Amino acid sequence: MISSNPFALGSRAPARIEEPGDARRVAALLTAAGESGSAVVAFGGATLQSIGNAPQRYDIALTLRRLDRVLQYDPRDLTIGLEAGITLESAQRALAQARQFVPFDAPLPRRATVGGTLAAGWAGPRRATYGHLRDLLIGSTVALTDGTLASAGGMVVKNVTGYDMSKVYVGSLGTLGIIVRANFKALPQPAGQRVAIAPLSDDARDRTLGALGQLTVEPTAALVVEGFFERAPRVRDEDARLLVVFEGSALVIDRATRDLRSVLGKCGVAETLLFDGAAAAAVLQDTIDAYIEPVDDRSITYRSTGIPSTVWERTAGACAIVRACGARYDFVADLCTGDAIVRIAGASASHAADALVEIDPELRRAQPGITVLAGDPRLRAQVDAWGSVPSAFETMRAIKTRFDPAATLAPGRYVGGL
Amino acid sequence: MATTFARRLLEALGSDIVLTEPADLAAFGYDGYKEHGNPSAAIVPRDVREVATAVRIARECDEPVIPRGAGTGLCGGAVPVRGGLVVSFTRMNRLLELDVRNRRARVQPGLINLDLSNAIARHGVFYAPDPSSQKISTIGGNVGTNAGGPHCLSYGTTTNHILGLQYVDDAGHIHRTGLADAGYDLTGLLVGSEGTLGVITEIDVRLMRLPEAVRVYVAAFADVESASEAVSAIIGAGIVPVALEIMDKLITQAVEAHYHAGFPAEAGAVLLVETAGPCDDMDDAERVIRQIARDHGALSWRSARDAAERAVLWAARKGAAGAVGRIAPNYYIQDACVPRTKLPQVMRQVERIARDHRLPVGNVFHAGDGNLHPLLIFDRRDARQVQAVIDAGSEILQTCIALGGTISGEHGIGYEKRSSLSLVFTTQDLAAMARVRDVFDPMRAFNPDKIFPSGAVCGEVTAASNAA
Repeated sequence: MISSNPFALGSRAPARIEEPGDARRVAALLTAAGESGSAVVAFGGATLQSIGNAPQRYDIALTLRRLDRVLQYDPRDLTIGLEAGITLESAQRALAQARQFVPFDAPLPRRATVGGTLAAGWAGPRRATYGHLRDLLIGSTVALTDGTLASAGGMVVKNVTGYDMSKVYVGSLGTLGIIVRANFKALPQPAGQRVAIAPLSDDARDRTLGALGQLTVEPTAALVVEGFFERAPRVRDEDARLLVVFEGSALVIDRATRDLRSVLGKCGVAETLLFDGAAAAAVLQDTIDAYIEPVDDRSITYRSTGIPSTVWERTAGACAIVRACGARYDFVADLCTGDAIVRIAGASASHAADALVEIDPELRRAQPGITVLAGDPRLRAQVDAWGSVPSAFETMRAIKTRFDPAATLAPGRYVGGL
Repeated sequence: MATTFARRLLEALGSDIVLTEPADLAAFGYDGYKEHGNPSAAIVPRDVREVATAVRIARECDEPVIPRGAGTGLCGGAVPVRGGLVVSFTRMNRLLELDVRNRRARVQPGLINLDLSNAIARHGVFYAPDPSSQKISTIGGNVGTNAGGPHCLSYGTTTNHILGLQYVDDAGHIHRTGLADAGYDLTGLLVGSEGTLGVITEIDVRLMRLPEAVRVYVAAFADVESASEAVSAIIGAGIVPVALEIMDKLITQAVEAHYHAGFPAEAGAVLLVETAGPCDDMDDAERVIRQIARDHGALSWRSARDAAERAVLWAARKGAAGAVGRIAPNYYIQDACVPRTKLPQVMRQVERIARDHRLPVGNVFHAGDGNLHPLLIFDRRDARQVQAVIDAGSEILQTCIALGGTISGEHGIGYEKRSSLSLVFTTQDLAAMARVRDVFDPMRAFNPDKIFPSGAVCGEVTAASNAA
């Protein structure tokens, strides 16, 4: 019954759902919650609520869906000011009218919100080219537990006026304050986008991955995807495929494609599927959606971050552990950013739970920084969502205490139980 | 007679590291700002352990700690206004690790910005942030002020190129932060904090692949306004070159007198454009940008022939402030940023403000980013002119704020602009920043009296102007 409540987290469901209509009301609700000792979890589209541990206390779900406006947008400034509850799709639609975009690149953009995507610290596959969202965030307003609204940055693209506070809220999972407004640097849309997909057999893999460094045009993104058959398209029934994104002018995309086909050909990879324009965007979005897609109630998805040169080793290492424990896996290895996404599925919920008992400690031993990204709530409850505690953890704890002394905001959700 | 503080530092670190004689300390009291301070001691450490030891001793002796790069900052960020310990990084200036494959490097804070890009160019990579001071300013100092530069237009400012840091906290403990690690983004907080949160001792930087093709163009305009309109139109057309810089006639003539770079010295304004990327796109980009320039009244258009000519043009542009210093008794360089579409309007206002105050003004600025740098020329021996500079500088900042801009784009707040911070931010905004300060530096021991407005402090000098 709890799973039918869209605001349930772990085994907890909130006593109350608040839907404030403006930023001041968000701040006022936080003060009131603090005074009554209630715990608050902020909600956008709930697409990435599976990041982090379930809160230790949870009384109020505070949804920002009514804060869904474009507040300020002059395309000639190449900046946009958005309310936090606007969906990624709506924001992108506003930008597209002026042929601009912000590379949110997060799953389920029709549901996901700008504030939620920032709070989750989402980092998409095109960031090696366009920058992380944190790098495009030029200003923010956040509702704090003392009832104030605090802004930082502004609507200009260069700014060293006071601390760059916006950064600390990105990826903080709503444990310091609730983002109510975000200002971004917008980018002009590239003239074209192409996704090339090639099968990647085990024999050709090492050779191919090594040869990609020879491409004269840098891909905007490059992923190796195995499994996720319900999502990313494939050439044949090969287990793994290479997915390369090129963006730019038609001249550049054509050269990049010739170049890629030539490099792949030398590695014995003869076929390449090409998708252009809207079809390319759909393939990329479907792949990103796969990052958090569950397999019924019997899967859990981990994310490993690191330098690109170790992504294959980390991915293969994780998959070997999963295989040895008798579970199935799908993965995305991001060759440009170094992210590895590994989804682990059991034959049934109980099989998955049993396998996870062995898999999780093995994964942590091999990759202390690995974290949980998505999956069935019962499986996630079985493990700590976070890896090793970071070096400056005591400073982080002090920041949490200073911003949220009564532990009103999603207590226990964050790294080290913050 | 050495103080207890100086004696303890000397005992712990030795006279090779610690400077305590007034004659040796004089140079550590200044940066590019007009005010100076008198440090109690300075250290020139070789490694992080020495930094940590010195910070611990400074804390025990209740002395503030002021980290220092090359001292090129223009806002007094490195000035020890309350005395204390200056930590100079001139010895910690090495490139520690270079990882070309993953496009990252680990450097010490004292490494000079340009030295890094020069050292790694043969591997086909570069470090993008390029403040005009890059020949002498350090990466540590650049991190402190989140420095910009002409190429930020496309590549972003320093903070977009910092992947992680090592820092010494107020208890003398050493920590490491990294964007790939879980937890709050301390890296993002430390960059641009002007030495007020800790002493940064190592920096992981992001490198970029050198572009396949680079072109530089020079266009002449009748005035700054039409050049600014052209810039707005280029950006508005969805074209983001890697740099879009404007110099007005005063600046261009000063630059030409010194560098003979071939800028059109008789033009009212010069637009410098750099495009970079795949070679296939270069011709198209030139055609479009050139047409927009022509539509906005460009009088001439020239393309740099080769890398050598490009280098000459850039050296001259980056040396603009210094070139003005040769022809003017004193100048005051302001740094502010406005939304890009407000640029023509703000340039008209700057001209009017200078005229009202009877001050010559030169404009050299990162037009593509809306980041302006009016140089007000004055003679510091003339009290009227000094006051006029203070008033005009303040009016320019207020104009920028009124147009939706801010009071520093890339130089920082430092000592100079701290009383202006409350023009941009509310008490609540500043209170949130103070919470961060409270966590890192509850005793206000790191670079006190910087960034934030403070209550009246005895003997405090009102920020006036920084003179060359």
